Amino acid sequence: MKHRSPLITLAAVAVAFAIMFIINMSVSPPGGSSTGTATPPPAPATAVTNSPAPQTSETSAASASASPSKSVEESKFPNKIVYAGRAEDGAGAIAVAVLGTQAAAYFCDGRSVESWFRGAVQGGDISLKSKDGGILQASLDGDHLKGALRIKNQRVKFEINEAKKPAGLYRARGSKTTIGWIVLEDGSEVGVQTTDQNSTAAPELDPENPQVTVDGEKLNAAPVNGDEAL
Amino acid sequence: MASVPLPAPEVAPAEPSGTKIGPVVIAFAVGTAVSIALGVYGRLHAPTGYAVNIAGFSSGPAAKAFLATIVIILAIIQTVTAMGIYGRIPLKGAWVSPVHRWSGRLAVLISVPVAVHCLYALGFQTYDGRVIAHSIFGCFFYGAFVFKMLILTRDDSPGWALPLAGGLVLSGLTALWVTAVLWFLIA
Repeated sequence: MKHRSPLITLAAVAVAFAIMFIINMSVSPPGGSSTGTATPPPAPATAVTNSPAPQTSETSAASASASPSKSVEESKFPNKIVYAGRAEDGAGAIAVAVLGTQAAAYFCDGRSVESWFRGAVQGGDISLKSKDGGILQASLDGDHLKGALRIKNQRVKFEINEAKKPAGLYRARGSKTTIGWIVLEDGSEVGVQTTDQNSTAAPELDPENPQVTVDGEKLNAAPVNGDEAL
Repeated sequence: MASVPLPAPEVAPAEPSGTKIGPVVIAFAVGTAVSIALGVYGRLHAPTGYAVNIAGFSSGPAAKAFLATIVIILAIIQTVTAMGIYGRIPLKGAWVSPVHRWSGRLAVLISVPVAVHCLYALGFQTYDGRVIAHSIFGCFFYGAFVFKMLILTRDDSPGWALPLAGGLVLSGLTALWVTAVLWFLIA
């Protein structure tokens, strides 16, 4: 004997999935990037739904140069950017790397405290978390990034600007050691190296030749772009 | 839907002869394919980082945590009624099977907006252990659900098939909840 009702349940769930996807696609905001290339989200919307949403995205695509015409007041991150700077009240330095819809951030005090954060970008806001439960939230404010982070019992506020290379965020990883460096626009560096559970000041990094030796192990430092596993 | 009432499997222990393993294998294969398809979609499409906020909660994650918790509560009802159906606990009455069916349907429907938000806005991610586990269990859960629905369509499956499928669904859901809601509440 066969029963149809589980199949009907299955079909209902599949339909629910489809409806949710269509709703999501039809309301997704354009692109998330002001640099022409990254406008995939509107494309599927045009392909799948024939609701009013596609028309607006077509017109905005047509007026190519004036793309931000619709949501002017909502600021968006460029597709790829790194911010770096010192925290308020000298608690340490912060760097945030944004790539597309993903972001990574690093906070350290140059002596013993550090934390890596990872998460998603939503328009002009980022909300990141660290593995040990820290939280970093920031928003675009004009061309700088303003926000705060919380690790353990410490709350750190910051307002930082774009860091152009060689400034930025660097990371090196060895068999036992992880090092993070924030290179600031003035050339100064703030970094912490952690081996097992012990954190100390990082060795000096030359961004032009990013190689350091720790305990006889040669480590290559790489710029953090925002989408890597940390 | 109600025109074809689904008789709950009243018996399990003594296996009547004539059970077939073939349909179970096929159901398992279909469920596996669904899991893989979800994972591949989640991995390949670019996460939008944005999706419709579901119900006007303080934040997207809060809404998801709330809905997922309702699903877990329904899943507990599912477990209890299933134990009643199988005679493991003294829970009898004409209402037990319908409650089991409808709490399940409701649970999976409520889970859909949450899952779509995960898939559409976030995708299958691997940046830390929790996220890897959550991504895998998310795909696993819907595969297990498909497996269970397909087994339910036949009476001639071996007696262990349905409890196995139900157990997989519940395990997947519990792992999803722990790797997201519990983490969200604690963090």
